[in-house]
Amino acid sequence: MMARPEPKSITFTIDGLEVEAPENAMLVDAAKLGDIEIPVFCYEPKLGNPVGACRMCLVEIEGIPKLQTGCSTPVKDGMVVHTQSERVRTAQQAVVEFLLINHPLDCPVCDKGGECPLQDITFGWGAGSSRFIEPKRHFVKPLELSPLIAIDRERCILCYRCVRFSQEIAEDYQLVLLERGAHSYVSTFDAHPYVAPFSGNIIELCPVGALTSRPYRFRARPWDIEGAGSVCTFCPSQCNVTLTVRDERVLRVLARDHAEVDDGWLCDKGRFAYQSIHVDERITEPLVRDGGELRAVPWERALQEAASALARARGKVAALAGGQSTNEEAFLLARLMREGLGSERIDTLAGVAPAKQHQLARPDLQAKVSDLEFADTVLVLGSEPVDDMPIVDLRIRKGVRRRRVKLALATSRPSSLDRNARLALRYSPGCEGAFLRALALALAGEDCQTPAQAAGAEGEQVRQLAELLRSGGSDVVILYGERMLAQGSAVEGLLRLASMLELSGRDGAGMLAVPAAGANGRGLLEAGFAPGYGPGLQPRPTASDQIDLTAAQLGAHAMAGGLSSGELSAVYLLHADPLESALPRAQWSHALAQASTVIAHASFLTEGVRDHATVVFPAQSYAEKEGTLVHPDGRLQRLRPAIGKQGQTRAEWSVICELAKRCGLDLGVLTGPMASKQLFEAVPFYAALTLEEIGGRGVRWQERDAAAGFPEPPPLEAEEPPAALPSPNGALRLGSFRSIWAATEVRVSPALQFLHPTQRVEMAPADAERLGLAHGETVRVSANDSSVTATVTLRDSTPAGSVFLEEGLGAHSANALAGAMVEVRKA
Amino acid sequence: MAWTPGEDVVEVVRAPAPGAAGGLYRSFGETLRGLKTTFARIIEGPVTIQYPEEKVPVYPRFRGRHKLHRFEDTGLEKCVGCSLCAAACPADCIRVVAAENTPDNRVSAGERYAAVYEINLSRCIFCGYCEVACPFDAITMGHEYELSDYSRTDLIFTKEMLLAEPLERTPLRKEGE
Repeated sequence: MMARPEPKSITFTIDGLEVEAPENAMLVDAAKLGDIEIPVFCYEPKLGNPVGACRMCLVEIEGIPKLQTGCSTPVKDGMVVHTQSERVRTAQQAVVEFLLINHPLDCPVCDKGGECPLQDITFGWGAGSSRFIEPKRHFVKPLELSPLIAIDRERCILCYRCVRFSQEIAEDYQLVLLERGAHSYVSTFDAHPYVAPFSGNIIELCPVGALTSRPYRFRARPWDIEGAGSVCTFCPSQCNVTLTVRDERVLRVLARDHAEVDDGWLCDKGRFAYQSIHVDERITEPLVRDGGELRAVPWERALQEAASALARARGKVAALAGGQSTNEEAFLLARLMREGLGSERIDTLAGVAPAKQHQLARPDLQAKVSDLEFADTVLVLGSEPVDDMPIVDLRIRKGVRRRRVKLALATSRPSSLDRNARLALRYSPGCEGAFLRALALALAGEDCQTPAQAAGAEGEQVRQLAELLRSGGSDVVILYGERMLAQGSAVEGLLRLASMLELSGRDGAGMLAVPAAGANGRGLLEAGFAPGYGPGLQPRPTASDQIDLTAAQLGAHAMAGGLSSGELSAVYLLHADPLESALPRAQWSHALAQASTVIAHASFLTEGVRDHATVVFPAQSYAEKEGTLVHPDGRLQRLRPAIGKQGQTRAEWSVICELAKRCGLDLGVLTGPMASKQLFEAVPFYAALTLEEIGGRGVRWQERDAAAGFPEPPPLEAEEPPAALPSPNGALRLGSFRSIWAATEVRVSPALQFLHPTQRVEMAPADAERLGLAHGETVRVSANDSSVTATVTLRDSTPAGSVFLEEGLGAHSANALAGAMVEVRKA
Repeated sequence: MAWTPGEDVVEVVRAPAPGAAGGLYRSFGETLRGLKTTFARIIEGPVTIQYPEEKVPVYPRFRGRHKLHRFEDTGLEKCVGCSLCAAACPADCIRVVAAENTPDNRVSAGERYAAVYEINLSRCIFCGYCEVACPFDAITMGHEYELSDYSRTDLIFTKEMLLAEPLERTPLRKEGE
């Protein structure tokens, strides 16, 4: 096992003070332990090895004749350091004076003014005057580095932070320093816009005002604003954020470092999609369908309509929850459905049976996010981290770059991590089950040629992957996309893989799921928002009159059928729009049209809500909410209200409680924390948890004593056999993915709009040639009488015989196609 | 029972009774001295100022209602909306919301300008710190002191009001006056 480094403690002297510090820590960090600050510009531990570019951290070390950079000098036992001597002071003042030679000193118009390290350090360590009277260097300013970032080259002090981020953290290799000496400037190589999923981080990294956020530009100054810590709910990464608030508006999102969650980075969706909180499209008052159109009505009327419709549909009502729902909302809605309305039909958008999720949610198999960085081998299975859980992508890159983690990819679609992987293996879309069978055979040392071919993979590669997993070291972390559990024998395959690699109970190894149900997918399951499962994954008692139905008959798929056939009459959508998700579109479109009542909590009029909802309650954004979420690794995190309620929105928990009361059920919840308390009492493995314990950093329930209350999953039921690879017969196999930008909040945010994708069909050049298609051509992709329009995108690494379409794009989504085999024709 | 003072009571020692001249002086002497001052002022004329028809002139450094300034040559606002005045303000009565200049809408000389600039004069303590903090001399304390109004909201002065010339000028005290 590759142990995480446990540094030795040493003692050194700094400014006459004996300080204890971990050996080989950089002097700048070690000095902090003795409450001594050494000024820095370029040093940032998150960026990896120090470069010593800015020379601000010069210190005097006894025994070394010249001044040394504190950021790149590791501290040693018995070292004697001076940071206040005359020599050091002269050097610091000289560096500040030097940096300010070309700095325009336009602090009053600069967005960084007031929170600028250059201001602070000039004030603290500068000489206070300059001898430089010559004219300053000038650049054209401000320029757009990208539609999201403005660059002011005059202010740049050439600390290299942004370039290092682009080269070594995000590894998009776009930013470079051009020219030499005083004429150096940061740019992309051929001056194209710096557009990348993580580009916004350089704004926060910049120690001067050279890189500023365009959406935040001139909106507020540091003394006008307040910071409010919360958690981003746009994807399962659940990054910790600080929301910058002015006049009850969120103006900016900053990272709130948490080594176990986000490592201090944010993706651009998390950083800029806050704009969707304050756009005009947002629903801020209750709507009721009246004469075929949604009209704004007072709360009382909306509640009355919804409550009477629910009461009418008692026993014939179903509920769907989306990933942005908190645990409390899901828990209360499940109670309303089960206790108040006598319906067991509740599900998420995951499309995966909860019994399967239960098998893999065992605490002994659970890996943490940070394990990805310290493991021996990481296997990414059926997921594209940058789209599904962006921050994990950076974590994997960090592990590969700094700790030489051996990365293996087994996906159907080419991944952006391919270049970092020791082994990138492809199988056919939908063949995860067959692939896992082949891998198990290979791990057992048997011949896997035929089973691998059945999965559309190459036998030799499967053998190499088995070899890598077996001999690469014992700490293996498997990151898998939960959606693949819907494939036949995938759970069995994963469990077998875990037992063959002895992952159970091993610290630093295990499995991490990318929830299929969205940001809080795991929380919804644990709060009991799952067919056949109560809070804490406890199977529902058999007393219910619907219990003769199996979980599959209660789930989302059966829900659509029930609504279409009239067996169900009402559906409750909690932050969920089945037409925007991966569920079969035609089926749900028909189901919603047939439903007599569709009650939705929504922030935007997405297609399903706009066309079918009868009552719409305005949903709160994550900046207004209180509640808890569960990270895919089991960390409970707290949402805290940062701004007041927008428009007439009301908290979801209060609306659900009000509806329950009108349906004759008192949920006993008067405040948000009361809902949390009920939840913690209902889930055995959250026992005795309090909101205070969760606090600002969250707590993993697997690490608490109460984790023993996790119900052991029943023996795995025989799964359906893996789907046979359909014979192509000239058609192409369809795989789907959901890009990070294919989201409603991206579409409505003015700054991010330009990134919202249009449908594109990714295909191999060989297939395109065979079909006579060229890159950029508009085509119709069709399967069984359904078709979507898309633009051809040729990707060399796409395996021949497969095409990939995007989800989450409304009528042109991949889920609009009914069938696994598609034909592509010129439109 | 009648109250009997104890031994603590000290008898008041009175001055000897004045004579005739002394009595006269005590009756009229001080009064005449006061009247001397009064009569001496009669020739100076009245000093009452007929406010509001007439205004008290102020000293050049009098700190009255604020003024925002424009560049005389270009007509652009001097204020760049940096909000330093709001940071310096001890009464927290200044609110600045900045915006970016565009080529077709250039308001100030810098990259940014104040889209909203409000001073709540019912809160202002006229300390002049905003004037000191301003890096562009865009805000100065003017000489107007007639600020009463019928509602508090009318005392929130907007950028346009602060940029406009005051309706009536307050007279300035002349040198030696």
